[in-house]
Amino acid sequence: MTLAVARRAEATALFAAQGVPTRRVEDWKYSDLKSALGEAGIGAQVAQWHVTDLPAGVEQFDLSQANPPGWVIDNFARGTGNVMSAASLALSVGGVALRVPKGAAIADLLKLDFTGPGHVRALLVLEAGASLTLVEGVGLSEFRNVGFEIALGEGAALDHVRVSPADADAVLVEEAHVRLAAGAQYRAHFASFGSRLSRMELEIALEGAKAQAHLSGVSVLDGKRHSDVTTRMIHAVEDTLSTQLFKHVAGGNAKAVYQGKVTVAKGANGSDSNQSAKALLLGEAAEADLKPELEIFADDVKCAHGAAVGDLDADSLFYLRARGIPEAEARGLLLHAFLEDAVAQIANMDQRELVRTELLTALKVIA
Amino acid sequence: MLEIKNLHVSVGDKPILKGLTLSIQPGQVHAIMGPNGSGKSTLSYVLAGRAGYDITEGSITYNGEDLTALPPEERAAKGVFLAMQYPVEIPGVTTMTFLKTALNSQRRTRGESDLDAIGVLKLVRAKAKTLNVSEEMLKRALNVGFSGGEKKRLEILQMALFEPRLAILDETDSGLDIDALKLVAEGVNLLRSPERAMLVITHYQRLLDYIVPDRIHVLAKGRIVAEGGKELALELEAKGYEHILKDVA
Ligand SMILES: Nc1ncnc2c1ncn2[C@@H]1O[C@H](COP(=O)(O)OP(=O)(O)OP(=O)(O)O)[C@@H](O)[C@H]1O
Ligand SMILES: [Mg+2]
Repeated sequence: MTLAVARRAEATALFAAQGVPTRRVEDWKYSDLKSALGEAGIGAQVAQWHVTDLPAGVEQFDLSQANPPGWVIDNFARGTGNVMSAASLALSVGGVALRVPKGAAIADLLKLDFTGPGHVRALLVLEAGASLTLVEGVGLSEFRNVGFEIALGEGAALDHVRVSPADADAVLVEEAHVRLAAGAQYRAHFASFGSRLSRMELEIALEGAKAQAHLSGVSVLDGKRHSDVTTRMIHAVEDTLSTQLFKHVAGGNAKAVYQGKVTVAKGANGSDSNQSAKALLLGEAAEADLKPELEIFADDVKCAHGAAVGDLDADSLFYLRARGIPEAEARGLLLHAFLEDAVAQIANMDQRELVRTELLTALKVIA
Repeated sequence: MLEIKNLHVSVGDKPILKGLTLSIQPGQVHAIMGPNGSGKSTLSYVLAGRAGYDITEGSITYNGEDLTALPPEERAAKGVFLAMQYPVEIPGVTTMTFLKTALNSQRRTRGESDLDAIGVLKLVRAKAKTLNVSEEMLKRALNVGFSGGEKKRLEILQMALFEPRLAILDETDSGLDIDALKLVAEGVNLLRSPERAMLVITHYQRLLDYIVPDRIHVLAKGRIVAEGGKELALELEAKGYEHILKDVA
């Protein structure tokens, strides 16, 4: 029996109708996937996944196997009309499903890596009251498309850390669709060092009262590298909370993109959302496209959003140099300081240190 | 130690210093007073090497070397220190990290070895205590949320830590309460030595009661228009700048 036959057929039709996005598609204006892929196109290969040391208490199912358990059938392919997500569903029978059962607090990190070219699906289910830290690894490849679904039950808590390494040639896209029940919490941090085209797209549905999503991200981009984080945050019900903080540093001909749409649905009264995206450009040819957006249909909501693009503060730079810190080091220090509040949001201390170390290395090159 | 000759400086196209001449010997403390906007901070920035200040004429020699040829960080390593009138707030960099980085950067530029983290910590703590800079302030982001007086005390803490050969204090006394003023003056007096020189910019005679200068210069309209001993400060306090400026064409 193949999983979700009807939904795969729908996905196939959707992808056939829309095709690989070009920059003429509004959502893909700053990330021309079709031209980044060139002749090769998106292919129909199945990409690989790998879980290192599955923590005790986490259940794993290989999606290419027969007889999926009930929790997979219930949660798989529930996603929306996202075109690349549809492509991964249409083109790949491979992938992984993971479940943390009710009330289980998993202390060990769950390390999930995606490698190789092609399309792959992933499903992560945290049942009510469960908690987990997911560390997602992004292997380099000429092209990969990951369709990820995350379902958080009542009061479940997921920390998600994803680091996308630097590469001039890789084209890496991922769509994560996250659903949160009442009182669930999703914290995610996306560090990106950019590739030919790199896009992390998130659709987050706050479906239960008091559900919370906190997103943060940093990118350090050089050369011709590109990094795009596109988010769609849906406050579907009352008293939901979301925060987003994205910081980018771009030099050379690099391009940083943040598109974030927050929707507060009718009746989602008392919701609170905060969105901030900032970029520092280190050269004339570097580019940042920051587009926070709000759509409010409810009453009594608190929504703030802001975006700012600038360059390094000359007064600060002079102050540090006047105290003996050489220019390149002073620039590095200021860039790191600029990124720090976003990095500080990574709850897991080891992961936070890892991201910091990688940022410092990247900043040394770019400063 | 410091020889400034016929210095002309413009910001953009605007001439600000117009033929300033000043000479400071090792061991001396000089004070500069002068009306708002006369060019005192401009002089201090030019000495520290800030970009955007064009020297159109004249020279600055420091220990026999052309100071203007050096980037700010090398001036610092060679012992030039400017306590700024408006210290900059830098979110995301803790004060302690900054102090450690600055101290070791200067040492490295001079070809000395780094001090280890514990060594720096001990040194900073010892100096911080005498200047009433709390442990909590050292943990906070540099100057962020510091009161005016706290910022000034941190400038003096840096001076004590870096032990410069030429210290320039740009209105370090402004905004200080009496106790803080005494602390700052003590910090300065502790550093006074036959090898060091200081240039103290101030609006108030009061500071000069505590830091007694060898010479006072009055800067107005980009030039030194009067000079004298410490009694000049008393005269200015009593009569203001009007009567001096009247004599200057
Ligand atoms: N970046 C700048 N652009 C234009 N004008 C400037 C700039 N910096 C300084 N000036 C001008 O140069 C003149 C001298 O300024 P400066 O700050 O040196 O004065 P000051 O003597 O330190 O004054 P105060 O006693 O108020 O601190 C002022 O008229 C000021 O407006
Ligand atoms: Mg001034």
